[in-house]
Amino acid sequence: MATAGIEEALVYHTAARDAHPPLGNSLLIEEIKDCQGLSPVWVILPNHTGEMPPPGQLLGEMKARGIQAVRMYPGRAHHSFSLADWCAGELLSALDTARVPLILDTEIVSWEEVFSLLKSYPCLPLIMANCSYRHNRFLYPLFKRFQNLYVETSRFMGGGTIEDVVAHFGPHPLLFGTNMPQYTGTAAVALLTYADIDAEDKQAIAGDNLRRLLGEMWP
Amino acid sequence: MSEYFDRIQAGLPLDDVEIIDLHAHLGPYFNMHIPAGDPGRMVRIMDLCGIDKTVLSPNLAGASDLVLANTMMLEAVASYCGRLYGACSVNGNYPELSLDELDRCFQEPRVVMIKVHPAVTKCRLDDRRMNRIYEFASKRGLLILVHTWHDNDPYGNQDIFASVAKARPDIRWIMGHSGGPFGSVHAMELARDLPNIYLDITLSMCPARQIEFFVMELGSERVLFGTDNPFIDPRPQIGRVGLARISHQDRVNIFGANARRMIHFE
Repeated sequence: MATAGIEEALVYHTAARDAHPPLGNSLLIEEIKDCQGLSPVWVILPNHTGEMPPPGQLLGEMKARGIQAVRMYPGRAHHSFSLADWCAGELLSALDTARVPLILDTEIVSWEEVFSLLKSYPCLPLIMANCSYRHNRFLYPLFKRFQNLYVETSRFMGGGTIEDVVAHFGPHPLLFGTNMPQYTGTAAVALLTYADIDAEDKQAIAGDNLRRLLGEMWP
Repeated sequence: MSEYFDRIQAGLPLDDVEIIDLHAHLGPYFNMHIPAGDPGRMVRIMDLCGIDKTVLSPNLAGASDLVLANTMMLEAVASYCGRLYGACSVNGNYPELSLDELDRCFQEPRVVMIKVHPAVTKCRLDDRRMNRIYEFASKRGLLILVHTWHDNDPYGNQDIFASVAKARPDIRWIMGHSGGPFGSVHAMELARDLPNIYLDITLSMCPARQIEFFVMELGSERVLFGTDNPFIDPRPQIGRVGLARISHQDRVNIFGANARRMIHFE
């Protein structure tokens, strides 16, 4: 982070993604407790199998531990649950009420699922991770329609895309992201620092937009 | 901390080092929206970050119209003398047409390379129909940039690329994308064995410390700056090289000195 000039980051534990969410979530809290600038993100599941507490209890624990956002990995190839109402509805409603940002990986959810989530949960800040230079045609109609859709910028690198999104929709949908430590943060930083947009808009994307979202949690 | 840290943080162009982008494109493509795909906006973005020269081949060359693509390239090169240079696209499925295109394009002295995309053209890099194209490159001492990926691509994966580079030591070969985000180790191993292979850094998924790894294992003299502009915005690649934990001389080599040593830019 220092090499790239990044001061703060939301982080999750890969064991929560690749092994078991409760295990990775508890490891995360332990591993970053002395790391200045790192804030925790939990990976969560619907509670039907008893692997996680019911939504009310889960959100209480999250608030107490300072969890800043959550990630979910639906689908048979990942955590084997559905985002549909019959499976994740209760959990998503709780996140919507608490305005806890939900981060989803573009590579593992369909755009129809994204549309459905945005429509069903208008107060849920939905952050799409891993959007690439091939996703503008899906994103632009959603940006037009929904104010609760955000894109993190780690792979959002189409030529001139930052300027184009800001010109059409303002800086509000964009949140700085790196996907460190898998990717380098140095590329993501230069994408933003060299953007041909106002300094105020750069600052919004660099951190202010996310800070505002986090400040709106737990209304 | 890099000597360019403050300038990159401030969004100021790197103007004390020559930056030459050897892997770029131009114009629209079927499966994506490219906001800054025209030559004017490409040059504007080059100015913002300090890229001096860009060698480009239009996006539609591989899968669509080779002649139209090369014509677009020639028009762009003519419009931005000294900033935009050309890579002539070829397609082994059309060997006669490709040779005609080489003859046509290389009448323009600012066309400086050949671009081959085996995965899109669906013609293997070692297809015998490519041989006369390679003869053309050899006679003129041209570099050939090849799209490669670390996968089972039957047309031009890293191993096919290396076998052709081994069979044609008279040509300098650029391993486009160095095989992609999971191809770094294999790319380095192949380049270490074959001195006529050069590694291209162009990627949208930029592995942490990849630049440092290439420099440490191979040296900076065979690592080349590329961006995929305008498929991919070129500015992140400035950050990757400009902020990498390498020496100033290594940075200078990658940014442009290596390209300058191999290519005569009119």
